[in-house]
Amino acid sequence: MPNDLLWVEKYRPKKIEDIIGNEEAKATFIEWLKSKRRSKKAVLLYGPPGVGKTALVNAAAKEFGFIIIEMNASDARSEKAINEIAKPATSYVALDSFSAVTKGNLLFLDEVDGIAGNEDRGGVGAIIKIIEESRVPIIMAANDPDIDKLRPLKKVCLLIRFQQIRIPLIIALLQKICLLENVKADFEALEHIAQNSRGDARSAINDLQSLSEENHVLTLQDTMTLSFRNKDISLDETLRGFFSAKSVGEASSLLSRSNVDYDEFIMSVSDNLPKRYSDPNELAAAYDLVSQADVFRRRIGTEHWFLLKYFFNALSKAAAVAPESYKPFEFISPPIRIITLFWTKGKRTMLNGICGKIGAQCHVSHETAKHDFVPFIKNILQNQKSSPLASWLKLTPEEVDFLIKMNKY
Amino acid sequence: MVAVLSKKAFKLPRVEKEKFILLIRLGLEYNREQGVYSIKSYNNIEKLTDTIASILNSEVVFLQSCTRCGKDFGCSDCKYNELCTTKDLPFSCVCPQCLRDRKHFEEYLEKF
Repeated sequence: MPNDLLWVEKYRPKKIEDIIGNEEAKATFIEWLKSKRRSKKAVLLYGPPGVGKTALVNAAAKEFGFIIIEMNASDARSEKAINEIAKPATSYVALDSFSAVTKGNLLFLDEVDGIAGNEDRGGVGAIIKIIEESRVPIIMAANDPDIDKLRPLKKVCLLIRFQQIRIPLIIALLQKICLLENVKADFEALEHIAQNSRGDARSAINDLQSLSEENHVLTLQDTMTLSFRNKDISLDETLRGFFSAKSVGEASSLLSRSNVDYDEFIMSVSDNLPKRYSDPNELAAAYDLVSQADVFRRRIGTEHWFLLKYFFNALSKAAAVAPESYKPFEFISPPIRIITLFWTKGKRTMLNGICGKIGAQCHVSHETAKHDFVPFIKNILQNQKSSPLASWLKLTPEEVDFLIKMNKY
Repeated sequence: MVAVLSKKAFKLPRVEKEKFILLIRLGLEYNREQGVYSIKSYNNIEKLTDTIASILNSEVVFLQSCTRCGKDFGCSDCKYNELCTTKDLPFSCVCPQCLRDRKHFEEYLEKF
């Protein structure tokens, strides 16, 4: 092997068992790939970067004799490009698929969450169409499957989640590489690299190579130059850690590591407090602290970030009002307010449309129409559904029904 | 109180229909003959653990299986516990003994 090769390339998993961690996800994927009658024609592997999604596809394809046809983020993935490349690859069964050596094609679309913008217009729709008609397995990989664009794609795929690789597994991998590269590394140094990688095996290997390639010796002191990687901690994970924190310090340190939206987080904390504290006094104390945190959040706005520590402190105190009474519970997430806004979106759109029509006819603003006109129009229509007022305002029958049945405006 | 469960098979008290459906939707599988649950899908593992915890009314901790020696162990023995995002969830890992033990490690490497 050439010496100037990057270790991530050199030690890229060649076999399925070389991939560390995510044993459960691996097993589900292999079962799907080996199956002759797949319930879903496509699979979506999702999870943070550097956990082995692409490596698993490559290793599995090699092991089971598939020819990979890959489109990744560097290719344009518009409807046209997908139809040109992916469609022929999935519509025809290759002659060599009848040989004992290969099983035919496998379409691999890496980083599908990156399909965006004008360049990739119509890409997701084209993929869905290809999945429906495909005669070969289709595999996709994404870091964030929750983006709106991928929602229709998720419905037609088997979803397999990959988790961050655990620190002991990364240490074990680094130990193996050190042995093969004749690097004398202190256990504490490997431990530090693994902790710093935050579950990303690729970055851990890169760090190991950059620190030890020259001298083939690695001490804890050498690893001190590594900068701390700040990985996103999801809202659910932050909530779980926040409510189970045993001290103000623990909750505060978790908040400072997480990149959650603070407004959304404070709403979620408010929603979940009654589940956390059953004692009314504890609950009142916690709500009081959350309200203090909310005051700081408003004062922070978009500029005064020096107040963030006071926000963290007040919120963390709310988590640790009675740490000994913590019992696991089912979290309400996302916040009720956001869910309500989501569910009432249709109604609000309808009301806005009606207010627009009233505003146009009566020469008033939307707000005036909503507050000063709608209650009276509703009353008139409730008494006489076919009132000429409805036709004068150009209201459709659906809008009239909506106004009559509306409870609140 | 902490309930320590094995992902391969564990028992739960009888639950109402809605809760049972929720458990199955979240990824559990129920073996009717033996009356035990096992984990089929790990996509919603955090929500699943919270639901099990609310049924048992206690904290739920799953045993980990060591990829080197195959033994089951708990996350409480691990010193990276606080940094782990999948703490106490049923995933494979390396037990503290195997991680420190060089002899074990070399035996493990010989397998490859």
